[in-house]
Parts: sequence; C-alpha cells; structure tokens
Amino acid sequence: MSKAICKGLRSPIRSLINLRRAKTISTSLVHNETILVKNNEEFVNKVMNNDKPVIVNFHAEWCEPCKILTPKLKELIEPLDNLDLAIVDVEDNAELVHTFEVKAVPAVIAVKNGLIVDKFIGLVDADMITNLIDRMSGKKKPS
Amino acid sequence: MTILRNFMRIANSFRPVQRIDNIFFLSWRTFSSHGTFDYDLAVIGGGSGGLACAKEAVNHGARVAVLDYVTPSPQGTKWGLGGTCVNVGCIPKKLMHQAALLGESIHEAISYGWEVPSPDAIKINWSALTEAVQNHIKSVNWVTRVDLRDKKIEYINGLGEFKDPHTLVATLKNGTKRELTARNIVIAVGGRPHYPDIPGALEYCISSDDIFSLGHPPGKTLVVGAGYIGLECAGFLNSLGFSATVLVRSVPLRGFDQQMALMVTNEMEERGVAFHHKCIPLSVEKLESGQLKARWQNTETGEQAEDVFDTVLMATGRYALTKALNLPAAGVTAVTGSGKIAAQTEQTDVAHVYAVGDVLEGRPELTPVAIHAGRLLARRLFADGLQHMDYENVATTVFTPLEYGCVGLSEEAALDRYGEESIEVYHAFYKPTEFFIPQRNIRNCYLKAVAERGGAQRVLGLHFVGPVAGEVIQGFAAAIKCGLTMEQLMNTVGIHPTVAEEFTRLNITKRSGKDPNPASCCS
Repeated sequence: MSKAICKGLRSPIRSLINLRRAKTISTSLVHNETILVKNNEEFVNKVMNNDKPVIVNFHAEWCEPCKILTPKLKELIEPLDNLDLAIVDVEDNAELVHTFEVKAVPAVIAVKNGLIVDKFIGLVDADMITNLIDRMSGKKKPS
Repeated sequence: MTILRNFMRIANSFRPVQRIDNIFFLSWRTFSSHGTFDYDLAVIGGGSGGLACAKEAVNHGARVAVLDYVTPSPQGTKWGLGGTCVNVGCIPKKLMHQAALLGESIHEAISYGWEVPSPDAIKINWSALTEAVQNHIKSVNWVTRVDLRDKKIEYINGLGEFKDPHTLVATLKNGTKRELTARNIVIAVGGRPHYPDIPGALEYCISSDDIFSLGHPPGKTLVVGAGYIGLECAGFLNSLGFSATVLVRSVPLRGFDQQMALMVTNEMEERGVAFHHKCIPLSVEKLESGQLKARWQNTETGEQAEDVFDTVLMATGRYALTKALNLPAAGVTAVTGSGKIAAQTEQTDVAHVYAVGDVLEGRPELTPVAIHAGRLLARRLFADGLQHMDYENVATTVFTPLEYGCVGLSEEAALDRYGEESIEVYHAFYKPTEFFIPQRNIRNCYLKAVAERGGAQRVLGLHFVGPVAGEVIQGFAAAIKCGLTMEQLMNTVGIHPTVAEEFTRLNITKRSGKDPNPASCCS
C-alpha cells in the first residue's frame, strides 16, 4: 500500500522508467514488481530504504540452480504486496557482491529496515523458501 | 551500526577515490624515482601462473596488481579472467572429453543390460554442450574476480607493456592508458595459437581459442597439427559424431614417447579418425556453400590432395606473447628465437623482472607447473623462501579418447641419456575388466616402465595408455619423486580390479623378448 502512495508521489517519468526496467510488467500499479538492481543507488533506494522487507536474490546467468530458484522466488513473492523481491545480477554489481560477501550463487539475503535478517546460499528446498517468505511477510512469528 | 550505514559508507567512499586517483598517480610518479613504487609486485597475465604468484604474494603482505587482457582471436573470440587453462584450455577440453566419453558410455551401457530406447537416435546437441561448458567457465571467471577482490589484489583489465624497467603501461579496452610502477614484475603472459602462413588460415580457420565456444556445430573437421592439442580436439570431435581428419607434419605427439604416441593414434584411427602423415597444409579457401576446401601436400611424396570440410582447426603450435610486452624498454634481452623467455630460475637478465608459465623457454607448458613455480617465486620474493621449482619428473596426460599418462623420461630420452646397456624397459599389454562385456578394443591398452638396469633399478619413466590415465599416473608421480625403484614397484600389492594395478604386475622386459600380452586375469 505504501508503495502505491510512493509511486503516486514520484514523477510520471520515473515510474515509466521503472516500468520499462521491470522484466515482468504488472497489470496494476498497486501490484508488486520485481526490483532489478542495476547499481548501488538503486539498491540503496529500493532495498535499504524500502518500508517493506525485501528478499534480495543474487543471480547469475551462467548458474543453473539460479535459473531454478529465481523464477520460483518471483512466483512466490510477486503476488504479495507486503514483501518485495530484488534481483542482483552478480556480473553487474561487483560492489554489492563484495559488501555482502557473496561467494557463491544463488544467494538469498533477507533485508528488513536496512538490516540483514537472514541469508541462504545455494538452491534450498521449497519449504525453506516458503518459510522465509512467510516470516518476512509477517505471516508467521519469527522463530 | 546498521548494514545500511556501513553500505552507504562503502558506496560513498567508492566515488571519491576515483577523483583523487589522478592526483595520487601524479605524486607516485614523482616519488618513484626516489624508490617508492605503486606496487611491490605487478603481474602481467592473469592465468594459472600469474594468479598463483599474485595470491601467494598477498599472503605474505605484498601490494599486488594483476594485468590481464585477452586480444580477440582472428575469429573474434574473447574470454574473461583466468588465462588459457580456465577459458580455452584444460578445463573446457576436459569437459568436452568427458562429454565424448559419456556418449560412448551410453552405448556401452546397453551391453550391461541398460534398456536404452533408440540408441541410433542418440546424438550430441552442440549448443547445449557449449552452453554448459561456457556457463562453467563464466562461473570460474567470476569466482576468480571475487577472489582477487577479496584478497585486495588490484585487477586491471588492460594489455600491459613495459615503459621502463619498473613502469608498466596498461591499455584498456576503451583505449585509455594506465601507468603503474612496481618493485618486482612477473611476466606470465602465456601464449596463443600459431597460424601457418598459408592463404585462408587467418580468414577461415579456427583454433583451440574458438572451438570451445563455437556458435555452430563444427561438422566435418580438418585438424592441422598432431600435438596434444590437435589430437585431443580431433579425438573428442570424432567421438561426439563430427568426422575428424588430422594432418601430421612430422610425427604425432613430438617430444613424447613415440611408441606410446603410436598406440594413441592407432586407437584414434580404429575409431575412425583419418590421419595424413608427413603432410603440410597449403591453402584453405571458402566455397560458395560456406564450406572450406583445404589443400595439403605430402612432404615425402610431393603429392597434393584436397578435401572439403565444414571446419578447419589449426593446432600447429603456440607462441609466447612477448612481442607486445616491449621487453627492450625493460632491458630484458633473454628472449629466444621462438619468443620465449630464457630464465632458469624464473629470473630474467633484469634482476627484478621474472617470468613464469608457458612463456618460459624449455619448461613444460602445464598449468600445475606454472602454479607451483609462481607460488615458489612469490615465496622467494616476499617470504624469504629458498625453494626453487623442480621441473623434472612432471607428470602429464594427453586426453585423447584412450588417454595417455606419463611421468619421467620417455624411452628415447632414457636411451639417449644412459645408453641401451644401462636401461631396462618393463612392459605389458593389459585388458581392463570393464572392456570385456562391451567388447571394447584392448589392442592399445599398454604400459611400460623405463628403469635403470643395475641395482634396485630406479624408475626413470612410467607410461600408460588406457582409461583414466591421468588418475592412474598421478600417484606414481609422487612415488618417482621419492626415488621409486622397480624392486619397490614389484613389491607393491595392486588394487584389484583396476587398471593402475598393472604397474605392480610388470615383470616382462623388452630385452627378454617374451610376449607381453596378458594370458588371463588374476593369475
């Protein structure tokens, strides 16, 4: 909901640029869109400064498990309006990779209010993913 | 402090450094004449040798920069950080060799009882293969870059050359130049494939630089050159279903034991690879169909021949990339006619300039050799190390369809060095257990040990043609380093059933003239 308000406040040009960037074009502006991180500023603005918790997925095109995990994350997170998904391509974002000490892909980091609250390396099973998503979107009490 | 604030600090600190950069370099250059250098070590070449040296150096507290740049091949192929081995050498070669072996295994499986639906329909999807191979290579490129960053090694993606003995200039892809000074410099530029000076070679032919990422299936291929690169390529191409022909200028695997080389090529011929011996290429022209017509000449008979191929792969040797270095500016003159650097202890004739890897004259052109030499060099430079690289008895393997692994002297080299009377050669043919059921050809499964004739008979060389030859020979390389004798080898109890145990069963000498063929298993 807050995201919809934010979008209304931004300039129309900015939201157009964002729409163009997003790989998945959503039908409604209120609906969630996956954040494709291209640079540090975008990461700071859309992940660190996000009111909602964000699941950050470190992804590489040459990584087979990533090709399984990333679509799965998109499928599970996009319908949710209180949790965002950000995809960081490791080839384009060397500083982020270094900052978060990502040594292998896929890597999933859960960020809430600018803090890392969880981290996964590798292709984890569906249960762990849904568990993380539930915790982050506030469905379950954090364990 | 939240991660956010930490991150903001890093993000903000990143930009200012760039602005101050120029000022830093200006001041460094003024100081360098007083003996202060930008780096303790600059490595030219981010391959096996260069990276190993750089990483070892930072472990001992040195400030290190690595320059790496890939000049595109004549066909336009480029690749990332990691050098020849990772990108266009050992790694993709082994993966394609494995793909070829797996293809054979599918068919063998049938004889073991596996129900394989339509075996005739089994074929290789070349783009799926190259994609899988390239994905792996990219992951290695990435891990390498992350590793350099973590170790705080400055990576400069530029072509390095000398400006003066302590100054390098790196030309980046966008044309900008970057200067840096270093107290020590290591040349680890390796080599690239050599193209014969014939019409059509550069325009139409590919090399090992291109085959592993070739954008279309190679089809009917002509491989010019019968060194290990040519034979390995012809081998896996043939096994993958692409007809392969090899032009051999003099002898296959020159420098290797020739009896074993013959076994290797016999096996390849029996699998359908065509060999044209004593032939050199004359020209390659492109036909309207897009195919290539290659002409060659038999240097003994003078006869010329030609044929049409989809791909012509040049594997006629590699040359060291020393020309682009501008070595005269550094004062380095120890360069041989072939362009390699003569440096017995990796130190050139300029005291602070060193060389490791394929660029060195007279040393095995192997990744583990470069890595080991690079590490030992870094220790000598920064950790008071005293150990020098031992280039003797380095094991290696040729990954042809039936592999050839060896360590130590070839029979010819041993005869040359010690004389026939002082040498004893033990040999045997053997039959791998797994070959019986699918009735695989055992004619070329052979091994031999070249040893001193007297006393405990110190082993000088071990040679093995057969499956998983690399795995078989590796352990024996350590044994030879310990001074293995035939007495010890024969007293070693073998593991059964393996192919490696055949070394422990050696008992027939060439001199005796007895039949080296096996009678039966287990006796």
